[in-house]
Amino acid sequence: MKVRVKSFAILRQFLPRETEVEIKEGALVRDLLGLLVKQAPPLAAELFNEQGELKDFVNILLNGRNIHFISGLDSPLREGDLVALFPPAGGG
Amino acid sequence: MLSLVERERYLRQIPLLGEGGQERLRDAAVLIAGAGGLGSVCAQMCACAGFGKIRIVDNDVVERHNLNRQVLYAARDHGLFKVDVAARRLRENNPLISVEPVRETITRGSIGNLAKGIDVIIDGMDNYDARYILDDAAFGEGIPLVHGAVNGFYGQVSSVIPGKTPCLHCIVPHPPPSGNIPILGVTVGTVGSIQVAEAIKLVTGLGKPIAGRMLLWDGLMGEAEVIPVSRDPSCTRCNGRGVVP
Ligand SMILES: [Zn+2]
Repeated sequence: MKVRVKSFAILRQFLPRETEVEIKEGALVRDLLGLLVKQAPPLAAELFNEQGELKDFVNILLNGRNIHFISGLDSPLREGDLVALFPPAGGG
Repeated sequence: MLSLVERERYLRQIPLLGEGGQERLRDAAVLIAGAGGLGSVCAQMCACAGFGKIRIVDNDVVERHNLNRQVLYAARDHGLFKVDVAARRLRENNPLISVEPVRETITRGSIGNLAKGIDVIIDGMDNYDARYILDDAAFGEGIPLVHGAVNGFYGQVSSVIPGKTPCLHCIVPHPPPSGNIPILGVTVGTVGSIQVAEAIKLVTGLGKPIAGRMLLWDGLMGEAEVIPVSRDPSCTRCNGRGVVP
């Protein structure tokens, strides 16, 4: 199946602004991130800490809903889903 | 009614806002939370636009490394309290408005008084601890909060409206690491201006605020995108009241 991925802010150093990704049926957000990191290894340091856990401040929106409020990295993907990766800014 | 002086000063924008809109700005009180990069730009733009009362809060003094982006301050202001310099500059710019500088840190204890009588809160903070305090005050008092934040060439703006949108805790559930974030004057100029445009829209009713949505500015690409924001179904702050359009 295909899902669309959009990246924002600093993540655009490693990912295209918008891309379509082919991924196996039944894949989870976790699988998608794994695939993206395989394509762009430096992305790993932006998304994951040393223990391999997702840096919790990176907002991942699945069709506009933050995966923190769904099932986190275990949130399931469907054909045509839009995943947005957005690390918020903090300065003023 | 606008005075003759007001009509002259705002001649070029009254066609946009209408006399009624200009009066609403004059009758509005805005809280500028922070007098740093975003706060400088927001305060300046609010004064120019004619917000009748500007309360600006910050507890820092002007340092030389502020001057690349904090446009209210000059080299000679080094060591002076930011809000004092800001108040002088804003009054010089627009003697028709009232400016209230407050030398304080925004805390859970101080926010009650700071938000009193305020119609719009503008976020010029540099950390989420303080932003969450503004968010709580906004939802507690029913005051819209125009959130803004920057990092390098990137920035974000969202209008948080109690009863209508998710709260800031829901929009940014986990703050990014703070510290010495690189910041450029042009980024705060852009993001701060968008924030004040939001404040003007909220007060006058013009246009459509960036509500239930977040504008993400990318200065390197020279483009902005607006994405939806979402609500934590278990949020006690905006639960049952936050609506995602
Ligand atoms: Zn909330």
